[in-house]
Amino acid sequence: MPIAASWRTLHKGFCSVLRQFGEHGYYLRDIMRAARETDTWPRETIRQMRVIGVESLLLTVIVAAFLGGVTAFQTRFQLFPGVQLSAVGLIARQSIVLELGPLLTALVLTGRVGARMTAEIGTMRVTEQIDALETLAYDPVAFLSLPRLLAALVMLPALVMLANVSAIVSAWLTLILATDVRTVDFVDGLRLSFIPFQVVYSLVKATAFGGAIAFVCSYQGYIAQAGAEGVGKATARAVVITSVAILTLDAIVAAVLAPFVQA
Amino acid sequence: MKRRDEVLVGLLLIVSVAAGVAGTVWLARGGLSAGYDMYARFPWGAGLKNGQPVLLAGVNVGFVKGVKLDPAGSLVVTLAVQKEYRVPDGTTAAVEPNGIFGDQLIALTPTLGASTYMAAGDTIPTGAGTPTTGDLLAKGDSIARDVEALTGALRAEFVSGGGIADLRKVTGEMAALVAELGQIATAQSRELTITQQQLRATLAAVDSAVVDSTMRSIRTSTANVAAITEELQVAQAQVRSMLTKLDNGTGTAGKLLNDPSVYARLDMLLMRLDSLAIDVKANPRRYINLRVF
Repeated sequence: MPIAASWRTLHKGFCSVLRQFGEHGYYLRDIMRAARETDTWPRETIRQMRVIGVESLLLTVIVAAFLGGVTAFQTRFQLFPGVQLSAVGLIARQSIVLELGPLLTALVLTGRVGARMTAEIGTMRVTEQIDALETLAYDPVAFLSLPRLLAALVMLPALVMLANVSAIVSAWLTLILATDVRTVDFVDGLRLSFIPFQVVYSLVKATAFGGAIAFVCSYQGYIAQAGAEGVGKATARAVVITSVAILTLDAIVAAVLAPFVQA
Repeated sequence: MKRRDEVLVGLLLIVSVAAGVAGTVWLARGGLSAGYDMYARFPWGAGLKNGQPVLLAGVNVGFVKGVKLDPAGSLVVTLAVQKEYRVPDGTTAAVEPNGIFGDQLIALTPTLGASTYMAAGDTIPTGAGTPTTGDLLAKGDSIARDVEALTGALRAEFVSGGGIADLRKVTGEMAALVAELGQIATAQSRELTITQQQLRATLAAVDSAVVDSTMRSIRTSTANVAAITEELQVAQAQVRSMLTKLDNGTGTAGKLLNDPSVYARLDMLLMRLDSLAIDVKANPRRYINLRVF
Protein backbone atom coordinates (compact mmCIF):
# COMPACT_ATOMS: atom_id res chain seq x y z
CA MET A 1 0.00 0.00 0.00
CA PRO A 2 2.75 2.54 0.88
CA ILE A 3 4.51 1.59 -2.35
CA ALA A 4 1.35 2.25 -4.33
CA ALA A 5 0.90 5.60 -2.57
CA SER A 6 4.51 6.56 -3.25
CA TRP A 7 4.12 5.58 -6.85
CA ARG A 8 1.01 7.72 -7.16
CA THR A 9 2.82 10.68 -5.56
CA LEU A 10 5.77 10.25 -7.88
CA HIS A 11 3.52 9.91 -10.89
CA LYS A 12 1.55 12.98 -9.86
CA GLY A 13 4.74 15.03 -9.39
CA PHE A 14 6.15 13.91 -12.71
CA CYS A 15 2.90 14.77 -14.47
CA SER A 16 2.89 18.14 -12.71
CA VAL A 17 6.37 18.90 -14.01
CA LEU A 18 5.36 17.89 -17.51
CA ARG A 19 2.23 20.04 -17.23
CA GLN A 20 4.33 22.98 -16.11
CA PHE A 21 6.59 22.56 -19.13
CA GLY A 22 3.56 22.26 -21.35
CA GLU A 23 1.94 25.39 -19.93
CA HIS A 24 5.20 27.29 -20.38
CA GLY A 25 5.26 26.03 -23.93
CA TYR A 26 1.75 27.33 -24.55
CA TYR A 27 2.72 30.64 -23.00
CA LEU A 28 5.75 30.88 -25.27
CA ARG A 29 3.54 30.08 -28.23
CA ASP A 30 1.14 32.87 -27.19
CA ILE A 31 4.04 35.30 -26.96
CA MET A 32 5.21 34.41 -30.44
CA ARG A 33 1.69 34.77 -31.77
CA ALA A 34 1.43 38.13 -30.04
CA ALA A 35 4.28 39.42 -32.21
CA ARG A 36 1.67 39.93 -34.91
CA GLU A 37 -0.05 42.59 -32.78
CA THR A 38 2.27 45.32 -33.94
CA ASP A 39 -0.10 48.05 -32.84
CA THR A 40 0.09 46.88 -29.28
CA TRP A 41 3.58 45.94 -28.17
CA PRO A 42 6.11 48.44 -29.70
CA ARG A 43 5.24 51.45 -27.52
CA GLU A 44 4.94 49.33 -24.42
CA THR A 45 8.28 47.77 -25.26
CA ILE A 46 9.98 51.16 -25.19
CA ARG A 47 8.41 51.87 -21.82
CA GLN A 48 9.54 48.52 -20.48
CA MET A 49 13.04 49.14 -21.79
CA ARG A 50 13.14 52.29 -19.74
CA VAL A 51 11.81 50.46 -16.70
CA ILE A 52 14.15 47.53 -17.05
CA GLY A 53 17.21 49.32 -18.41
CA VAL A 54 17.33 52.97 -17.52
CA GLU A 55 15.79 52.65 -14.07
CA SER A 56 18.10 49.74 -13.21
CA LEU A 57 21.26 51.37 -14.51
CA LEU A 58 22.41 52.99 -11.29
CA LEU A 59 21.88 49.85 -9.20
CA THR A 60 23.63 47.70 -11.79
CA VAL A 61 26.64 49.99 -12.06
CA ILE A 62 27.03 50.28 -8.29
CA VAL A 63 26.77 46.53 -7.76
CA ALA A 64 29.28 45.90 -10.56
CA ALA A 65 31.69 48.50 -9.19
CA PHE A 66 31.77 46.82 -5.82
CA LEU A 67 32.02 43.45 -7.49
CA GLY A 68 35.03 44.48 -9.59
CA GLY A 69 36.81 46.25 -6.78
CA VAL A 70 36.43 43.40 -4.32
CA THR A 71 37.34 40.76 -6.90
CA ALA A 72 40.55 42.56 -7.86
CA PHE A 73 41.48 43.40 -4.29
CA GLN A 74 41.02 39.83 -3.09
CA THR A 75 42.78 38.42 -6.11
CA ARG A 76 45.83 40.59 -5.43
CA PHE A 77 46.16 39.33 -1.89
CA GLN A 78 45.63 35.70 -2.85
CA LEU A 79 48.71 35.73 -5.06
CA PHE A 80 51.81 34.30 -3.48
CA PRO A 81 55.27 35.78 -4.08
CA GLY A 82 56.70 35.17 -7.52
CA VAL A 83 53.47 35.51 -9.45
CA GLN A 84 53.52 38.41 -11.88
CA LEU A 85 51.09 41.14 -10.91
CA SER A 86 49.53 41.16 -14.35
CA ALA A 87 47.75 37.97 -13.26
CA VAL A 88 45.42 40.20 -11.24
CA GLY A 89 44.21 41.93 -14.40
CA LEU A 90 43.78 38.63 -16.19
CA ILE A 91 41.83 37.01 -13.36
CA ALA A 92 39.69 40.11 -12.80
CA ARG A 93 38.82 40.34 -16.49
CA GLN A 94 38.00 36.68 -16.86
CA SER A 95 35.96 36.60 -13.65
CA ILE A 96 34.00 39.73 -14.46
CA VAL A 97 33.42 39.33 -18.19
CA LEU A 98 32.86 35.61 -18.34
CA GLU A 99 30.95 34.98 -15.13
CA LEU A 100 30.33 37.51 -12.43
CA GLY A 101 29.23 40.43 -14.59
CA PRO A 102 26.34 38.66 -16.34
CA LEU A 103 25.41 36.42 -13.43
CA LEU A 104 25.26 38.99 -10.65
CA THR A 105 23.59 41.57 -12.87
CA ALA A 106 20.90 39.04 -13.75
CA LEU A 107 20.38 38.00 -10.14
CA VAL A 108 20.13 41.61 -9.03
CA LEU A 109 17.67 42.38 -11.80
CA THR A 110 15.64 39.32 -10.85
CA GLY A 111 14.80 41.05 -7.62
CA ARG A 112 14.68 44.54 -9.03
CA VAL A 113 12.78 43.89 -12.29
CA GLY A 114 11.46 40.33 -12.21
CA ALA A 115 9.61 40.68 -8.92
CA ARG A 116 8.11 43.90 -10.17
CA MET A 117 6.92 42.22 -13.38
CA THR A 118 5.25 39.40 -11.49
CA ALA A 119 3.64 41.74 -9.03
CA GLU A 120 2.34 44.05 -11.77
CA ILE A 121 0.94 41.33 -13.98
CA GLY A 122 -0.31 39.31 -11.01
CA THR A 123 -2.17 42.31 -9.64
CA MET A 124 -3.70 42.89 -13.05
CA ARG A 125 -4.73 39.25 -13.09
CA VAL A 126 -6.36 39.24 -9.65
CA THR A 127 -8.06 42.58 -10.27
CA GLU A 128 -9.36 41.21 -13.57
CA GLN A 129 -7.68 43.92 -15.62
CA ILE A 130 -6.37 41.20 -17.92
CA ASP A 131 -9.89 39.96 -18.40
CA ALA A 132 -10.90 43.52 -19.23
CA LEU A 133 -8.16 43.72 -21.87
CA GLU A 134 -9.42 40.55 -23.45
CA THR A 135 -12.94 42.01 -23.40
CA LEU A 136 -11.62 45.07 -25.23
CA ALA A 137 -10.07 42.77 -27.87
CA TYR A 138 -6.56 43.48 -26.65
CA ASP A 139 -4.22 40.55 -26.55
CA PRO A 140 -2.96 40.70 -22.95
CA VAL A 141 0.16 38.73 -23.87
CA ALA A 142 0.99 41.23 -26.60
CA PHE A 143 0.45 44.08 -24.18
CA LEU A 144 2.04 42.64 -21.02
CA SER A 145 4.40 39.78 -21.77
CA LEU A 146 5.94 40.37 -25.17
CA PRO A 147 7.12 43.94 -24.45
CA ARG A 148 8.73 42.81 -21.20
CA LEU A 149 10.42 39.89 -22.90
CA LEU A 150 11.76 42.01 -25.76
CA ALA A 151 12.84 44.75 -23.40
CA ALA A 152 14.67 42.30 -21.19
CA LEU A 153 16.33 40.59 -24.15
CA VAL A 154 17.69 43.95 -25.33
CA MET A 155 18.40 45.72 -22.07
CA LEU A 156 20.07 42.93 -20.12
CA PRO A 157 23.03 42.76 -22.55
CA ALA A 158 23.26 46.55 -22.48
CA LEU A 159 23.28 46.61 -18.71
CA VAL A 160 25.77 43.74 -18.52
CA MET A 161 28.09 45.55 -20.90
CA LEU A 162 28.02 48.66 -18.75
CA ALA A 163 28.36 46.51 -15.64
CA ASN A 164 31.49 44.88 -17.08
CA VAL A 165 33.02 48.26 -17.87
CA SER A 166 32.09 49.57 -14.44
CA ALA A 167 33.56 46.52 -12.72
CA ILE A 168 36.83 46.67 -14.67
CA VAL A 169 37.25 50.39 -14.07
CA SER A 170 36.49 49.84 -10.40
CA ALA A 171 39.01 47.00 -10.28
CA TRP A 172 41.67 49.22 -11.86
CA LEU A 173 41.01 52.09 -9.46
CA THR A 174 41.01 49.76 -6.46
CA LEU A 175 44.30 48.17 -7.49
CA ILE A 176 46.23 51.35 -8.19
CA LEU A 177 44.89 53.13 -5.11
CA ALA A 178 45.03 50.34 -2.55
CA THR A 179 47.64 47.84 -3.74
CA ASP A 180 51.07 47.72 -5.38
CA VAL A 181 49.65 46.76 -8.78
CA ARG A 182 50.50 49.38 -11.41
CA THR A 183 48.39 50.41 -14.34
CA VAL A 184 50.77 48.77 -16.80
CA ASP A 185 50.53 45.45 -14.93
CA PHE A 186 46.75 45.62 -14.87
CA VAL A 187 46.49 46.50 -18.55
CA ASP A 188 48.94 43.75 -19.50
CA GLY A 189 46.75 41.26 -17.66
CA LEU A 190 43.57 42.66 -19.21
CA ARG A 191 44.97 42.16 -22.69
CA LEU A 192 46.52 38.77 -22.04
CA SER A 193 44.70 36.00 -23.90
CA PHE A 194 41.81 38.30 -24.76
CA ILE A 195 39.65 37.49 -27.74
CA PRO A 196 36.53 39.45 -28.70
CA PHE A 197 34.43 36.30 -28.43
CA GLN A 198 34.75 36.59 -24.65
CA VAL A 199 32.59 39.72 -24.85
CA VAL A 200 30.15 37.90 -27.11
CA TYR A 201 30.06 35.07 -24.58
CA SER A 202 29.14 37.55 -21.87
CA LEU A 203 26.39 39.03 -24.03
CA VAL A 204 25.02 35.59 -24.88
CA LYS A 205 24.70 34.86 -21.19
CA ALA A 206 23.09 38.23 -20.56
CA THR A 207 20.56 37.67 -23.32
CA ALA A 208 19.68 34.23 -21.99
CA PHE A 209 19.33 35.55 -18.46
CA GLY A 210 17.18 38.47 -19.63
CA GLY A 211 14.89 36.10 -21.46
CA ALA A 212 14.63 33.88 -18.41
CA ILE A 213 13.78 36.80 -16.13
CA ALA A 214 11.08 38.22 -18.37
CA PHE A 215 9.59 34.90 -19.41
CA VAL A 216 9.42 33.27 -15.98
CA CYS A 217 8.38 36.36 -14.07
CA SER A 218 5.70 37.45 -16.52
CA TYR A 219 4.34 33.91 -16.64
CA GLN A 220 4.18 33.63 -12.86
CA GLY A 221 2.30 36.91 -12.74
CA TYR A 222 0.03 35.80 -15.55
CA ILE A 223 -1.04 32.70 -13.63
CA ALA A 224 -1.20 34.34 -10.19
CA GLN A 225 -4.05 33.15 -7.99
CA ALA A 226 -6.65 35.46 -6.58
CA GLY A 227 -5.89 37.75 -3.67
CA ALA A 228 -2.89 39.58 -2.35
CA GLU A 229 -1.52 36.33 -1.00
CA GLY A 230 -1.68 34.81 -4.45
CA VAL A 231 0.32 37.71 -5.87
CA GLY A 232 2.84 37.44 -3.06
CA LYS A 233 3.26 33.73 -3.59
CA ALA A 234 3.60 34.22 -7.32
CA THR A 235 6.27 36.88 -6.80
CA ALA A 236 8.27 34.72 -4.42
CA ARG A 237 7.95 31.73 -6.73
CA ALA A 238 9.00 33.82 -9.69
CA VAL A 239 12.19 34.99 -7.94
CA VAL A 240 13.10 31.46 -6.90
CA ILE A 241 12.40 29.87 -10.27
CA THR A 242 14.15 32.67 -12.14
CA SER A 243 17.23 32.39 -9.94
CA VAL A 244 17.42 28.65 -10.50
CA ALA A 245 16.80 29.12 -14.21
CA ILE A 246 19.60 31.69 -14.41
CA LEU A 247 22.07 29.39 -12.70
CA THR A 248 21.00 26.50 -14.91
CA LEU A 249 21.37 28.58 -18.06
CA ASP A 250 24.75 29.78 -16.81
CA ALA A 251 25.91 26.18 -16.57
CA ILE A 252 24.47 25.28 -19.97
CA VAL A 253 26.06 28.26 -21.73
CA ALA A 254 29.37 27.55 -20.03
CA ALA A 255 29.25 23.89 -21.04
CA VAL A 256 28.49 24.78 -24.65
CA LEU A 257 30.60 27.88 -25.24
CA ALA A 258 33.42 27.80 -22.69
CA PRO A 259 35.81 25.93 -25.02
CA PHE A 260 35.52 28.80 -27.52
CA VAL A 261 36.49 31.58 -25.12
CA GLN A 262 40.03 30.30 -24.73
CA ALA A 263 42.58 32.28 -26.69
CA MET B 1 6.70 61.09 -21.74
CA LYS B 2 6.87 58.58 -24.56
CA ARG B 3 9.46 60.67 -26.35
CA ARG B 4 11.48 60.92 -23.19
CA ASP B 5 11.44 57.11 -22.78
CA GLU B 6 12.70 56.63 -26.28
CA VAL B 7 15.52 59.12 -25.77
CA LEU B 8 16.61 57.57 -22.53
CA VAL B 9 16.48 54.05 -23.88
CA GLY B 10 18.31 55.04 -27.03
CA LEU B 11 20.96 56.85 -25.08
CA LEU B 12 21.49 53.88 -22.82
CA LEU B 13 21.78 51.50 -25.76
CA ILE B 14 24.21 53.77 -27.59
CA VAL B 15 26.39 54.20 -24.52
CA SER B 16 26.32 50.49 -23.89
CA VAL B 17 27.24 49.53 -27.43
CA ALA B 18 29.93 52.20 -27.58
CA ALA B 19 31.43 51.04 -24.28
CA GLY B 20 31.39 47.43 -25.42
CA VAL B 21 32.91 48.09 -28.82
CA ALA B 22 35.51 50.53 -27.51
CA GLY B 23 36.50 48.23 -24.68
CA THR B 24 36.77 45.23 -26.96
CA VAL B 25 38.85 47.10 -29.53
CA TRP B 26 41.07 48.56 -26.85
CA LEU B 27 41.70 45.15 -25.32
CA ALA B 28 42.14 43.32 -28.60
CA ARG B 29 44.08 45.91 -30.62
CA GLY B 30 45.41 48.33 -28.04
CA GLY B 31 43.16 51.11 -29.25
CA LEU B 32 42.22 52.58 -32.59
CA SER B 33 45.70 54.04 -33.17
CA ALA B 34 47.41 50.78 -32.46
CA GLY B 35 50.68 51.58 -34.25
CA TYR B 36 51.97 49.07 -36.73
CA ASP B 37 52.45 45.35 -37.14
CA MET B 38 55.70 43.43 -37.29
CA TYR B 39 56.26 39.73 -37.60
CA ALA B 40 58.46 37.05 -36.11
CA ARG B 41 58.78 33.32 -36.61
CA PHE B 42 59.27 30.88 -33.80
CA PRO B 43 59.35 27.09 -33.74
CA TRP B 44 56.28 25.11 -32.78
CA GLY B 45 55.54 24.84 -29.10
CA ALA B 46 56.78 28.30 -28.18
CA GLY B 47 53.76 28.82 -25.90
CA LEU B 48 52.61 32.06 -27.55
CA LYS B 49 49.11 33.51 -27.51
CA ASN B 50 47.33 36.78 -28.03
CA GLY B 51 47.95 39.60 -25.59
CA GLN B 52 51.39 38.54 -24.39
CA PRO B 53 53.68 41.57 -23.95
CA VAL B 54 56.41 42.56 -26.39
CA LEU B 55 59.45 44.15 -24.77
CA LEU B 56 62.08 46.15 -26.65
CA ALA B 57 65.23 46.24 -24.50
CA GLY B 58 62.99 45.64 -21.49
CA VAL B 59 60.44 48.35 -22.36
CA ASN B 60 56.88 47.29 -23.07
CA VAL B 61 56.28 48.43 -26.65
CA GLY B 62 53.34 46.27 -27.69
CA PHE B 63 51.71 42.89 -27.51
CA VAL B 64 51.15 39.72 -29.48
CA LYS B 65 48.32 40.39 -31.86
CA GLY B 66 48.05 37.07 -33.60
CA VAL B 67 49.62 33.63 -33.79
CA LYS B 68 49.28 31.56 -36.93
CA LEU B 69 50.40 28.00 -37.33
CA ASP B 70 52.67 27.40 -40.28
CA PRO B 71 52.60 23.73 -41.34
CA ALA B 72 56.28 24.00 -42.20
CA GLY B 73 57.09 23.88 -38.50
CA SER B 74 56.92 27.44 -37.31
CA LEU B 75 54.55 29.93 -35.74
CA VAL B 76 54.01 33.21 -37.57
CA VAL B 77 53.51 35.75 -34.81
CA THR B 78 52.07 39.21 -35.44
CA LEU B 79 53.43 41.83 -33.07
CA ALA B 80 51.44 45.03 -32.54
CA VAL B 81 54.07 47.70 -31.84
CA GLN B 82 53.10 51.15 -30.58
CA LYS B 83 53.75 53.87 -33.12
CA GLU B 84 56.05 55.87 -30.85
CA TYR B 85 58.58 53.03 -30.84
CA ARG B 86 60.78 51.91 -33.72
CA VAL B 87 62.68 48.66 -33.93
CA PRO B 88 66.39 49.14 -34.82
CA ASP B 89 68.02 47.10 -37.54
CA GLY B 90 69.81 44.05 -36.19
CA THR B 91 67.22 43.47 -33.48
CA THR B 92 66.50 39.83 -32.65
CA ALA B 93 63.32 38.39 -31.15
CA ALA B 94 63.22 35.66 -28.55
CA VAL B 95 60.54 33.97 -26.47
CA GLU B 96 61.29 34.33 -22.78
CA PRO B 97 59.45 33.18 -19.66
CA ASN B 98 57.21 35.71 -17.94
CA GLY B 99 56.78 34.75 -14.31
CA ILE B 100 56.87 31.25 -12.94
CA PHE B 101 53.65 29.81 -14.32
CA GLY B 102 54.72 29.17 -17.86
CA ASP B 103 53.54 32.43 -19.37
CA GLN B 104 55.72 33.88 -22.12
CA LEU B 105 56.71 37.22 -23.53
CA ILE B 106 58.58 38.26 -26.64
CA ALA B 107 61.84 40.04 -25.95
CA LEU B 108 63.29 42.20 -28.73
CA THR B 109 67.02 42.71 -28.24
CA PRO B 110 68.50 45.57 -30.29
CA THR B 111 72.16 45.87 -31.21
CA LEU B 112 74.10 48.82 -29.83
CA GLY B 113 74.85 51.65 -32.21
CA ALA B 114 72.22 50.83 -34.81
CA SER B 115 71.20 54.01 -36.62
CA THR B 116 68.67 52.57 -39.04
CA TYR B 117 65.31 51.06 -38.25
CA MET B 118 63.19 48.21 -39.53
CA ALA B 119 60.09 49.06 -41.50
CA ALA B 120 56.55 48.23 -40.52
CA GLY B 121 55.67 44.72 -41.66
CA ASP B 122 59.22 43.45 -41.51
CA THR B 123 59.99 40.08 -39.99
CA ILE B 124 62.28 40.32 -36.99
CA PRO B 125 64.94 37.57 -37.01
CA THR B 126 64.84 35.11 -34.19
CA GLY B 127 67.59 35.07 -31.57
CA ALA B 128 68.46 32.73 -28.76
CA GLY B 129 66.13 33.02 -25.83
CA THR B 130 66.73 32.35 -22.18
CA PRO B 131 65.85 28.91 -20.80
CA THR B 132 62.13 28.42 -20.54
CA THR B 133 60.25 26.69 -17.79
CA GLY B 134 60.05 23.69 -20.10
CA ASP B 135 63.81 23.67 -20.48
CA LEU B 136 64.24 23.81 -16.72
CA LEU B 137 61.73 21.01 -16.27
CA ALA B 138 63.58 18.96 -18.89
CA LYS B 139 66.81 19.54 -17.01
CA GLY B 140 65.06 18.51 -13.82
CA ASP B 141 63.86 15.36 -15.54
CA SER B 142 67.41 14.61 -16.67
CA ILE B 143 68.69 15.01 -13.12
CA ALA B 144 65.87 12.81 -11.85
CA ARG B 145 66.81 10.11 -14.36
CA ASP B 146 70.45 10.29 -13.26
CA VAL B 147 69.42 9.99 -9.64
CA GLU B 148 67.21 7.05 -10.52
CA ALA B 149 70.09 5.35 -12.36
CA LEU B 150 72.36 5.98 -9.39
CA THR B 151 69.75 4.59 -7.05
CA GLY B 152 69.41 1.51 -9.25
CA ALA B 153 73.17 0.97 -9.25
CA LEU B 154 73.31 1.34 -5.49
CA ARG B 155 70.42 -1.06 -5.11
CA ALA B 156 72.14 -3.57 -7.38
CA GLU B 157 75.39 -3.21 -5.49
CA PHE B 158 74.10 -3.15 -1.97
CA VAL B 159 70.98 -5.28 -2.19
CA SER B 160 71.45 -7.69 -5.06
CA GLY B 161 75.26 -7.88 -4.75
CA GLY B 162 75.18 -8.55 -1.03
CA GLY B 163 76.82 -5.24 -0.09
CA ILE B 164 74.45 -4.66 2.76
CA ALA B 165 75.15 -8.18 4.11
CA ASP B 166 78.88 -7.43 3.95
CA LEU B 167 78.31 -4.15 5.72
CA ARG B 168 76.33 -5.91 8.40
CA LYS B 169 79.11 -8.49 8.79
CA VAL B 170 81.78 -5.81 9.04
CA THR B 171 79.63 -3.92 11.48
CA GLY B 172 79.26 -7.04 13.62
CA GLU B 173 83.01 -7.60 13.56
CA MET B 174 83.62 -4.01 14.43
CA ALA B 175 81.22 -4.36 17.33
CA ALA B 176 83.07 -7.44 18.55
CA LEU B 177 86.40 -5.65 18.18
CA VAL B 178 85.10 -2.67 20.06
CA ALA B 179 83.83 -4.98 22.81
CA GLU B 180 87.22 -6.67 23.01
CA LEU B 181 88.99 -3.32 23.12
CA GLY B 182 86.61 -2.33 25.85
CA GLN B 183 87.53 -5.39 27.87
CA ILE B 184 91.23 -4.65 27.37
CA ALA B 185 90.71 -1.08 28.40
CA THR B 186 88.84 -2.23 31.47
CA ALA B 187 91.66 -4.59 32.44
CA GLN B 188 94.29 -1.93 31.81
CA SER B 189 92.30 0.51 33.81
CA ARG B 190 92.09 -1.95 36.65
CA GLU B 191 95.87 -2.54 36.55
CA LEU B 192 96.54 1.16 36.38
CA THR B 193 94.35 1.62 39.38
CA ILE B 194 96.32 -1.01 41.28
CA THR B 195 99.64 0.55 40.22
CA GLN B 196 98.39 3.92 41.25
CA GLN B 197 97.35 2.58 44.60
CA GLN B 198 100.77 0.94 45.04
CA LEU B 199 102.52 4.13 44.07
CA ARG B 200 100.45 6.04 46.57
CA ALA B 201 101.31 3.47 49.22
CA THR B 202 105.03 3.69 48.37
CA LEU B 203 104.95 7.46 48.43
CA ALA B 204 103.14 7.32 51.72
CA ALA B 205 105.85 4.94 53.10
CA VAL B 206 108.74 7.31 52.25
CA ASP B 207 110.06 9.10 55.41
CA SER B 208 110.27 12.77 54.80
CA ALA B 209 113.26 13.10 57.23
CA VAL B 210 115.25 10.58 55.23
CA VAL B 211 114.33 12.40 52.10
CA ASP B 212 115.54 15.66 53.57
CA SER B 213 118.83 14.05 54.65
CA THR B 214 119.26 12.55 51.23
CA MET B 215 118.55 15.85 49.60
CA ARG B 216 121.12 17.58 51.79
CA SER B 217 123.69 14.89 50.92
CA ILE B 218 122.91 15.37 47.29
CA ARG B 219 123.37 19.10 47.63
CA THR B 220 126.74 18.53 49.40
CA SER B 221 127.82 16.08 46.73
CA THR B 222 126.78 18.53 44.09
CA ALA B 223 128.90 21.24 45.74
CA ASN B 224 131.90 18.87 45.90
CA VAL B 225 131.46 17.94 42.29
CA ALA B 226 131.40 21.62 41.45
CA ALA B 227 134.70 22.15 43.34
CA ILE B 228 136.28 19.17 41.64
CA THR B 229 135.10 20.43 38.31
CA GLU B 230 136.65 23.77 39.04
CA GLU B 231 139.97 22.14 39.97
CA LEU B 232 139.83 19.99 36.87
CA GLN B 233 139.32 23.11 34.79
CA VAL B 234 142.44 24.63 36.38
CA ALA B 235 144.42 21.43 35.74
CA GLN B 236 143.16 21.35 32.20
CA ALA B 237 144.40 24.89 31.68
CA GLN B 238 147.79 24.01 33.03
CA VAL B 239 148.05 20.92 30.81
CA ARG B 240 146.94 23.02 27.83
CA SER B 241 149.76 25.53 28.65
CA MET B 242 152.29 22.75 28.95
CA LEU B 243 151.24 21.24 25.66
CA THR B 244 151.48 24.63 24.05
CA LYS B 245 155.05 24.96 25.28
CA LEU B 246 155.86 21.49 24.01
CA ASP B 247 154.46 22.38 20.60
CA ASN B 248 156.41 25.60 20.53
CA GLY B 249 159.66 23.84 21.45
CA THR B 250 160.26 26.09 24.43
CA GLY B 251 161.73 24.59 27.63
CA THR B 252 163.73 21.44 28.07
CA ALA B 253 160.97 19.02 27.19
CA GLY B 254 160.04 21.06 24.15
CA LYS B 255 163.58 21.07 22.90
CA LEU B 256 163.88 17.36 23.62
CA LEU B 257 160.78 16.74 21.49
CA ASN B 258 161.37 19.23 18.76
CA ASP B 259 165.19 19.46 18.28
CA PRO B 260 166.50 16.63 15.93
CA SER B 261 170.09 17.12 16.99
CA VAL B 262 169.21 16.05 20.49
CA TYR B 263 167.73 12.87 19.06
CA ALA B 264 170.93 12.25 17.05
CA ARG B 265 173.03 12.75 20.07
CA LEU B 266 170.97 10.45 22.17
CA ASP B 267 171.09 7.83 19.40
CA MET B 268 174.89 8.21 19.26
CA LEU B 269 174.97 7.89 23.01
CA LEU B 270 172.96 4.70 22.96
CA MET B 271 175.24 3.22 20.32
CA ARG B 272 178.31 3.97 22.41
CA LEU B 273 176.64 2.52 25.44
CA ASP B 274 175.84 -0.62 23.45
CA SER B 275 179.45 -0.95 22.27
CA LEU B 276 180.64 -0.25 25.78
CA ALA B 277 178.42 -2.98 27.19
CA ILE B 278 179.69 -5.40 24.60
CA ASP B 279 183.22 -4.49 25.40
CA VAL B 280 182.56 -4.77 29.12
CA LYS B 281 181.18 -8.25 28.60
CA ALA B 282 184.12 -9.19 26.48
CA ASN B 283 186.83 -7.66 28.58
CA PRO B 284 185.54 -7.32 32.00
CA ARG B 285 189.06 -7.03 33.50
CA ARG B 286 189.63 -3.97 31.57
CA TYR B 287 186.95 -2.21 33.41
CA ILE B 288 186.56 -4.16 36.61
CA ASN B 289 189.84 -4.87 38.50
CA LEU B 290 189.11 -6.24 41.87
CA ARG B 291 191.90 -6.68 44.30
CA VAL B 292 191.79 -7.89 47.74
CA PHE B 293 194.63 -6.41 49.35
